[in-house]
Amino acid sequence: MFGLDYSWLADPAYQQWLLTGVVNTLKLAVLSSSAAILIGMLGALGLTLRIFWLDALIELFVEVFRNTPPLLQMLFAYFTLSTLGLRVTDPSTGLSVPLLSAFACAAISLSLFGGALAIEAFRSGIETMPRSIIDAARSLGYGRWARFWRIEAPIATRICLPGLTNILTNLFKTTSQASVITVPELMYYAGQIYNDTFRTLEVMILVLLIYVVLVSILTFAMARLEAFMAFPGYGRVH
Amino acid sequence: MIAGPMLSYEGKKRAVLLLIAFGVVIWIGGDAAAGGSAHWSRVLVRLPLLLTGSASGWPITGGFVLNIILSLASMALATALGTIMGLATLARFGPIRVPSFLLMNFLRNSPWLVLLFATLYFLPFEMHVFGTTIPFPPFVKAVIGLALPTAANFSEVIRGAVQSIHSGQWDAARSLGYGTGQIYRHVIMPQALRRMIPGWMNLYALLMIATALATVTGIQDVLTILNTLLAMENERVIVYFYLTILFLFIAYCYPIAAVARRWERAVKGESL
Repeated sequence: MFGLDYSWLADPAYQQWLLTGVVNTLKLAVLSSSAAILIGMLGALGLTLRIFWLDALIELFVEVFRNTPPLLQMLFAYFTLSTLGLRVTDPSTGLSVPLLSAFACAAISLSLFGGALAIEAFRSGIETMPRSIIDAARSLGYGRWARFWRIEAPIATRICLPGLTNILTNLFKTTSQASVITVPELMYYAGQIYNDTFRTLEVMILVLLIYVVLVSILTFAMARLEAFMAFPGYGRVH
Repeated sequence: MIAGPMLSYEGKKRAVLLLIAFGVVIWIGGDAAAGGSAHWSRVLVRLPLLLTGSASGWPITGGFVLNIILSLASMALATALGTIMGLATLARFGPIRVPSFLLMNFLRNSPWLVLLFATLYFLPFEMHVFGTTIPFPPFVKAVIGLALPTAANFSEVIRGAVQSIHSGQWDAARSLGYGTGQIYRHVIMPQALRRMIPGWMNLYALLMIATALATVTGIQDVLTILNTLLAMENERVIVYFYLTILFLFIAYCYPIAAVARRWERAVKGESL
């Protein structure tokens, strides 16, 4: 069809590469997004404490990580962390080798990048909450914790969700950049396959489809969650 | 107790950040004094090359300035495409809405790097249209490759801004006898535009950061030049080079993102 040649897909070696690539991509995505959500929650919680130096440190962290290219962060982690002293001596060979593998470098830098974005999303969710709601809850006699669990958290979660969806999909897509530092994920194996078979167009279409399907599953799940938790009366256009 | 001017919370925070910046300057100075100056001077010698792509700083053949030009060109294209796509996804007419929604989702859900690779390989070297030859050098391919996902994201910004307008506005305008086009022009867009601007600026900062990916197309952007330079530097100097490039991106993107955020804070919560 359309002159596309997918005969290479029958080769078990390429199937194995694609499968390994998808599994590694998922591993990297799950690992870094859970770390990012954790960092985001801790960061946003830290901001609510209103300690000025902690606030300043978190702000610095967020600004540094979201205003620099994730690709550059990964390259930085991969090429310079071992120079800066993160090295161990391999007991079997006696050679000094980098402590962190390419995968670890990618996972760490993606977690920090995603974490910086997540802090921002959670913070804005908490901040956007109208003061009047908190005042109303207080006037109804809610205590500090009841107010947080029954009023603030449910509303803030709903406000955060679209932002969180963006960050998770963004992070998932950014995992493809780990191929540049030789992490054997989907994009890396795609490169291997088209270097082998010269079927660039076919491989690229397949890889795009795989990414779109994977991310679509994620966005679909998040959209369902959003719809399930939506405020009544907002978002209808016509 | 020392009687002094009391600092506000924001003032104290700024003081800490200033202290950190001061610490960094001291660290750089100390490092330079402790033998790092040889490293720093290597970076300084290469700085014009990293910024403009030529050793003397002129003419501009690449480097960080090329990243900026690339981002501006992509943003212009993305804004035009995104506006069309955004309004199309809001259309009531199914045959317009559904395909544009699918296209938007496809572009939004595919990684920037993969789209860039795809445009790099899919677009021909040149195209013949009605007898004229339109060339597609790597730069143009990079502009298109970066504009596609940005346009999809911008259409989401438009859609989000339009949908953040309370549905009562629609009902009220319709009861006054306005048509859909008129409602958009006179009621929805004037309100939504305010909420779009921060998203648009944020997207630009994001796009600027993504221009680092253009290194895969082989254009002489800052990362390509960095990689060529690093081949002839020792391990230690590499750290200094990376820190310099990271700083360049922060210095350019932070002010844009900061203004966008201030604006965002001003318009948020209006709808609730």
